[in-house]
Amino acid sequence: MESSIHPLAKKTVIYYLMTTSILLIFMMILGVIMLLNQGEMIQISPEWFYKIMTAHGIGMVGVAALGGTSIMWYFLSKYIKLRPSIFLQNFTLSLIGIILIVIAIFGFNFSDAWTFLYPLPAQSAQFYGVTGPLLFLFGVLILGVGYLIMYAYLAARLIKEYGGLGKSLGWDYIFRGKKGYGPPPAVVATTMVVITNSTAVIAGAIVIIGSIINILIPAISMDPMLAKHLTYAFGHVFCNATIYMAVIAVYEVLSHYTKRPWKSNKAFLIAWNASTLFTLMIYTHHLLMDFAVPTWMLIIGQVFSYANGLPVMVVTAYGALMIVYRSGIKWDFASSLLFLAMFGWVAGAIPAIIDATIVVNHVMHNTKWVPGHFHTYMGMGVIAMILGFMYYFNKKEGSMKHNHFDTFSIALYFTFFTGIVGSFLYAGSMSTPRRWAVHMPEWVLSDQIGAISGIFVVLATVLITVRFFTGLKGVGKTT
Amino acid sequence: MYQMIALYLTIFFEFLLALAFAFVYGESKRTSEYGPIQTKGYKIRKYYFFALVATMGIATILTLDDLPYHSAHAKESATTETKVVEVTGLQYYWEMSEDHFTIGDQVEFIVTAGDVTHGFGLYTEDLELVAQTQAMPGYENSVYYTFEEPGTYQILCLEYCSVGHHVMIKEIVVEPKGGVENGE
Ligand code: HEM
Ligand SMILES: [Cu+2]
Ligand SMILES: [Cu+2]
Repeated sequence: MESSIHPLAKKTVIYYLMTTSILLIFMMILGVIMLLNQGEMIQISPEWFYKIMTAHGIGMVGVAALGGTSIMWYFLSKYIKLRPSIFLQNFTLSLIGIILIVIAIFGFNFSDAWTFLYPLPAQSAQFYGVTGPLLFLFGVLILGVGYLIMYAYLAARLIKEYGGLGKSLGWDYIFRGKKGYGPPPAVVATTMVVITNSTAVIAGAIVIIGSIINILIPAISMDPMLAKHLTYAFGHVFCNATIYMAVIAVYEVLSHYTKRPWKSNKAFLIAWNASTLFTLMIYTHHLLMDFAVPTWMLIIGQVFSYANGLPVMVVTAYGALMIVYRSGIKWDFASSLLFLAMFGWVAGAIPAIIDATIVVNHVMHNTKWVPGHFHTYMGMGVIAMILGFMYYFNKKEGSMKHNHFDTFSIALYFTFFTGIVGSFLYAGSMSTPRRWAVHMPEWVLSDQIGAISGIFVVLATVLITVRFFTGLKGVGKTT
Repeated sequence: MYQMIALYLTIFFEFLLALAFAFVYGESKRTSEYGPIQTKGYKIRKYYFFALVATMGIATILTLDDLPYHSAHAKESATTETKVVEVTGLQYYWEMSEDHFTIGDQVEFIVTAGDVTHGFGLYTEDLELVAQTQAMPGYENSVYYTFEEPGTYQILCLEYCSVGHHVMIKEIVVEPKGGVENGE
């Protein structure tokens, strides 16, 4: 049943992980610089702050996407034969996209944030020139195209192997009463991501192309509200998809370590089908303060954002707890990071769900509360999954062993990441706005706590990355 | 007010979550068969699921009744007139048809933007965010607020609008009833 991963795909996993870890460190340093500035410990110009903010935002989303993709490809290869060239093309287009984005930001002063909310890039193009916005938008577009090609290929493979995407989502078991277990969790998760994220990338491509046309020919414009819908249908789903790719590592590694099966029973399949549907529906929680959106749509945004918490809380996180409970599991870098990552995901979902409540959003939207919750499930969720996978990969494919040093780095990472997100959430509860280069004196203390925590997180990440790179040598020998 | 509720609820639920993970971690060194654990686990999960759905249901009922999208408050007390104030966000300042108010004033801010999207955030003197809406070109959003405390309020921009985003601040003054300005 289990086929082993193609040697070229294995090499490509290494490219992905090396890029992910190096980029991660650089982007974290940018995050610390922002906090040092907001905390008045250093001083940079607002122009630089917002360039750094744009780079950090898009860069981190890219990091999470690359890491998540490598996890998905690695484990999916166990179940279906995949052509590594597609995996490599996604990497190549991502790199080209990243290079264009870096040139746009640091060469041509693009600083309209990773969400490039129309008509801001067009407005900036009038003042600062068209090159920056165009390079940035093309960069994101190329990155998206790389993903679209990969998803189209994966969809074709899933259809070939399982007879349709409905089948690989387990509809036979949910609706037709088929007995037994559905497709492996890695397959179910991949199907979900293929469906939701292709939709997202297409929405993103439309708004990007619209923005590009508007920059080149200002007479052709878009409706800003429509553009915002498309932008968040893209941004929200794309970020969420990184978790749904990365969580495959939790299923695979925890069941391997505990020697217990993690199979797709009916509750599991229903949960993933619900996630597929809800993930596409709830991006409107980003528009709760756009009063012109029809109220029913915004109420859907609230109610289904709540509901979208159920699959992870009731099935995935609960499943992780059950599989570990009295299992005699060996705790090492991979198992402990992945276990903690499930905590991080749910811990981030809680303040996110609370903020999706319209009356709460009315006084917390675009405050630091928002980076507070997404740094929790990105930094302590997705990134923890990716770091856990990096260790697992070196152990499985090479000869790496856990040592006390790793226990220390992991503890350091989680302790101080809690400091970062705690300082953000606290700042949000004090109404501190997000994306402000300069802070009022009342807000500065929380920034300083965040900045100091951030320095230790960078340190922990450097330690983990050094261990990863030394571990890679062992992988080279066995291939 | 909602900020504090959000903060304490988050701390409370995350504490419970941490307890659950710590408990399972503590039990992870022992071993027993998975079959019975699953049977029992699924049973507990049913209750857990219904408890979550009930919590979310209650939260929904409690919160959907008082949405900021229409002037529920203004209609309740028909005796006072609503003051209409037109607000336009521009890079990097706010244009307002009026910026002096008296306690008890019920104000409808009709908010739009002249260039890119901005965010209209109303802050009290203690820098507490009490109301907001998006300022989007081509759209008008009405947000309602009744001033109950005197002082200098501030409008801060709450949607990133390029490099001057953080300087987009406008002060508005709310006088006590019969204050200096009214001369009574
Ligand atoms: C050392 C760790 C990190 C630090 C110190 C840090 C710091 C920051 C700061 C200060 C901001 C801007 C906050 C504001 O709006 O005022 C920010 C925004 C952001 N961060 Fe991080 N961050 C870290 C890690 C991460 C990670 C791991 C991710 C995701 C994988 C991430 C994703 C983002 C995103 C998407 C934004 C939004 C940018 C925007 O508003 O346009 N960050 N971060
Ligand atoms: Cu979202
Ligand atoms: Cu602004």
